[in-house]
Amino acid sequence: MRKHRLTFWLILIIAAVGIYTLFNFRLFSGAHQEERNVTVILKTLNVRLDFWQAVSQGAEAAAKEMGIRLSVDGPLSEDDAEGQLRLLEEAIERKPQAIVIAPIADKRMPEAFAKAREAGIQLVIINDSPDATSAPIIVTTDHGKAGRLAGEAAIEATDGYPLIAVISDEESSAVSEERLKGLRHALASYSESVIGTYYADNAEDRAYAIVMELLRRGEPINAIIALNESASQGAAAVLKELNKAMEIKLIGFDSTSDEVQLLESGTMTASIVQKPFNMGYLGVKIAQKLMTGGKAEPVTYIDSNVITKENMYTTENQKLLFPFINSK
Amino acid sequence: MLKERFFPLFPLKSIQSNISLAFSLLILAAIVLTSLVSYQVSVSAVERNSKGYIEEIIKQVNLNIQSYVDNMENISLLALTNKDVKYYISDNSFISSENRRTYEKRISDLFQAILYTRNDIASIMVFGYNGRFVSDRRITTMNPNTKLEDQAWYQMAKAAGGQSVVSAPHVQSLIENEYRWVVSLSRELKNTDGITAEGVLLVDLNLSVINDICNNINLGKKGYLFIVDDKGNIVYHPQQQLIDSNLRTEHISEVLQASSGQSFIMDKGDGKRIYSVQDTNFGWRIAGVAYTDDLIASKDDLRNSIIFYSVFGLAISLLISVGLSHRLSKPIKVLQSDMKQVEKGNFDIQTEIGQMNEIGQLGRSFNLMVSRTKFLMEETIQNQENKRKSELLLLQSQINPHFLYNTLDSIVWMAEQKQHEEVVLMTSALAKLFRASITKDQELVPIRVEVEHITNYLLIQKMRYNEELNYVLDIDEGILGFKTLKILLQPFVENAIYHGIRSMYGMEDGLITIRGRQSGEHIRFEVEDNGLGMTPEQASRLLINYEEDGRNQGIGIRNVNERIKLYFGHEYGIQIRSEIEEGTCITIVIPKLA
Repeated sequence: MRKHRLTFWLILIIAAVGIYTLFNFRLFSGAHQEERNVTVILKTLNVRLDFWQAVSQGAEAAAKEMGIRLSVDGPLSEDDAEGQLRLLEEAIERKPQAIVIAPIADKRMPEAFAKAREAGIQLVIINDSPDATSAPIIVTTDHGKAGRLAGEAAIEATDGYPLIAVISDEESSAVSEERLKGLRHALASYSESVIGTYYADNAEDRAYAIVMELLRRGEPINAIIALNESASQGAAAVLKELNKAMEIKLIGFDSTSDEVQLLESGTMTASIVQKPFNMGYLGVKIAQKLMTGGKAEPVTYIDSNVITKENMYTTENQKLLFPFINSK
Repeated sequence: MLKERFFPLFPLKSIQSNISLAFSLLILAAIVLTSLVSYQVSVSAVERNSKGYIEEIIKQVNLNIQSYVDNMENISLLALTNKDVKYYISDNSFISSENRRTYEKRISDLFQAILYTRNDIASIMVFGYNGRFVSDRRITTMNPNTKLEDQAWYQMAKAAGGQSVVSAPHVQSLIENEYRWVVSLSRELKNTDGITAEGVLLVDLNLSVINDICNNINLGKKGYLFIVDDKGNIVYHPQQQLIDSNLRTEHISEVLQASSGQSFIMDKGDGKRIYSVQDTNFGWRIAGVAYTDDLIASKDDLRNSIIFYSVFGLAISLLISVGLSHRLSKPIKVLQSDMKQVEKGNFDIQTEIGQMNEIGQLGRSFNLMVSRTKFLMEETIQNQENKRKSELLLLQSQINPHFLYNTLDSIVWMAEQKQHEEVVLMTSALAKLFRASITKDQELVPIRVEVEHITNYLLIQKMRYNEELNYVLDIDEGILGFKTLKILLQPFVENAIYHGIRSMYGMEDGLITIRGRQSGEHIRFEVEDNGLGMTPEQASRLLINYEEDGRNQGIGIRNVNERIKLYFGHEYGIQIRSEIEEGTCITIVIPKLA
C-alpha cells in the first residue's frame, strides 16, 4: 500500500506540473505577466521646464506600451543634487526592478549608483555623457552630432564661408564641450572658420556683452553659434538691437518659446533641437529590456533635429517645438 | 524485443498500480485536452466579444469627434449666413471706416457669444480678401512673422471652393505669443451671388478636446487610439514622435485597407492587437488599438480557474481511479492469497467466486485444480500406504514360519540320515532364498534373479517332498534381462504345491509348469499345475477377500496382484483359470521393463 500511495502522489504532482507548464509555456510563451516597477528620476520635475516634462511623457508612453508601473520623480531645481540623491536613496529603498535616472553632476552619484546595482536594480542613465559616469547603460542625446549639425547649418547659412563666434557657457560643462567638439569636427575643412570661443557662464547679459564687444571690435563674423539658450538670447538681443540679423546668422540649441519666436522672426537661423520624449521613451524601454534579461547597447544616442523657420511647422517639428497640447 | 523488456508498456509491478497509471494517464490526457480546448474556445469568445466592444468604443469616439466637427461646421454656417460678416468682407466699399468699427464690434460680439457657449472652440476668425480681418477678440495682435497665405488651412479652404475643410492638428501661430494646438475648420466665404469668393472663415477647435477623448477611452492598459487622414498621414497618434523618429511603426496601410466598422487582428511580434477602424465623414479614419492580452484582463483568471479545476478534477478522478483499480484487482489479490495458501500446502482451500467474469472463471478453474490435486494427493498417499502394507505382507509371506519350520525339520531329518550332501544343498538353497528376500533395497529385480530364486525354492520343496515333486521351469532366455517384481512367482508356486498337487493321491503324478514368455509389449508368466483345481468361487476368493479366509494361503497371491497393479498399473495383474480335478493355471502379466 505504501508504494501505491507514493505512485499516486507522484502521478498527481506530475499531472499538476504538467498542466501548469502546458498552460504557461504553450500559450503564454514569454508573455509572463508580473507587475514591473520602474522609477524614473529626472533632473527636475519643474512643470515649467518643457524638456523634462517631455522626458517624463516619453517615459510614460513607454510604460503604457509595455505595461510597466512607472513612477516619475525629481527635485524641484535642476541643480539640487542633494535632493536628487535623496530621491535616489528612497527609490532604492522601494526596490523597483529598474531605475532610470538623469543625474545631476555630483561626486556622490557613482556611489549611489553602485548601491542601486548592489540591490539588484537595473540602472539606466539618461541625458548624461558616457564618460561622465561609470554607468554601463546610457541613453543620451548625441551632443557631438548636434554640434556637427550646428556647424553644418552655419556652413549652409553662410554659403560655405563660415566665420563663426561660438558662445558657450563654461569650460567644465560636458554637454557644451561635446557640442563644441562636434562643431569643430564639422568645420574641420574650413580653416580659420572659428573666430573664437567665448564663455558666458550661462548668463544672458554676459553673452550680450560678449557679442556686443565682438561686433563693436568689428570682428568679421557672419555666424554665431550659441551653445545654450541664454547665450542665444543674449546674442539675439544684440542682433536685434543692431539690426544685424540678416548679416549674422545665429544658430542656437534647444527650443524654449523665446527661441521659437526668434526662429519665427528670423533672428535665429536654426536651432538644434533635442528629442526629450524619445529619451524618456528609450530610457524606460531599455530598462524593460534589462529587466527581462535582455542585453542593451552601452550607449544609445538620440538624434537632434535642425529646425529653421521654414520647417518649424512640419508635423514632426511642431511636436518637438510644442510638445504639449495646452488644454484651453 | 529488447527494448520492451526494459521499457514495458506498464512498468509498475502490481496490476493495481498499472491500472491506476493507465487510468490516470487517460484522465490526464482527457483533462488536458478539454482544458486546452475550453481555454481556447473561451479566449476566442472573449476576443470576439472584446472586438465588438472595441468597435463600439471607436464608434462612440467617432461620434464624439464627429459632433465637434459638426459643431464647427454649424458655427461656420452661422458665420457664413451672417449678414454683418458678409457685408464686412464684401468688396463693396459702402462701409465707411466709422461703420467698420461697429461692424467689427458686432461680428466680434457674435463670435464671442458663440465662443462663450462652446469652450471647445479656441477661436473664430474671418479674413476678407479685401484685407479686412475680424476675430472673436476685440483687440488682436497678429503674429507679424506668420503669413496667412502660407497656412495650410488657408490654402486648403481656397482650393476647396466653398466647402469646409478640416485640417490636421497643428500649432496655430496666427496670434502673437500664442501657440495653440488646434484642429482648424476653414471655409471660403462667397459673395451673395454664390460665385465670387470674398474671404476665409476659420474655426479652431482646441486639440485638447480630441486629445482628451482619445486619452480617456479605455482600451485596456496598453490600448490606444490614432487617427489618419484618407492619404494615410497620421493626424493624431499618442506616440507620433516615436513614429517620426522611426522608433515605432504603425500598421497604417492595413488600417487604410480595412473598411469602416471593420476590425482586424495584427500579430507581428509586438503583441497581439485588435485594430478597429471607423471613418468620419470629413476624411479622417479613426483606429482603435487594443492589446488582447491586457484587454482580456480575465485571461489570467480564466487560465488560473481552468488550471484549478483541472487539478481538482484530476485529484478526484485519480482517487476514483485508484479506488476503481483497487476494486478491479481485489479478486485477483484474493485469488493470489488463496494460491499462496495452496503453495504452503493447504489443499482444503476453495476460493470464493464472485462475478462470473474472467477472474471468476479463473477462480473456478483454480478450485477445480485444487480439488483434483487434493484427490490425487490423497490417492498417492493411499497408494503409498498400500505399498507399505503389501511389503509387510510380502515379508510375512517370505518368512513363512511353517515353511521355515518344515524346511528346518527336513534338514534335521536329513542330517539324522547322514545325508550330508543333501543337508548342504538344502541349507545353501535356504540361505540363498532368504538372502534374496531380505535384499530390501530394490523392488524390481532382473527376471534372472527371480528365476534363480524360484529355482532355489523349488529345490527346497523338492527335497522336502523326497523328490516326489515334479516341475518344469520353462523360461524364455530372451526375457531374463528384463525387470520384474521380486518374489513374484513364489506365492503361486507355493499355492500350486499346497493346494494343487500335495493333496493328490499320487503326488508323483503332479506336475508344476512355470513358463515365462514375451507377448508383445508384455511379459507373461504362467504357473500351471494339474492338481485338484478350484471352483470359480474359490478362485475369485483367492483374489478378493483374504480377511475372511482367516488363513494366510491367499495372502501371497492377493498381495502379488496388488503389488503388480500398484507398480505397473491396473491393466496388469493376474488371471486364474482353474477347473476341478483338472488343475489350475495362473497367468501373470507384467510390462516389459528393461
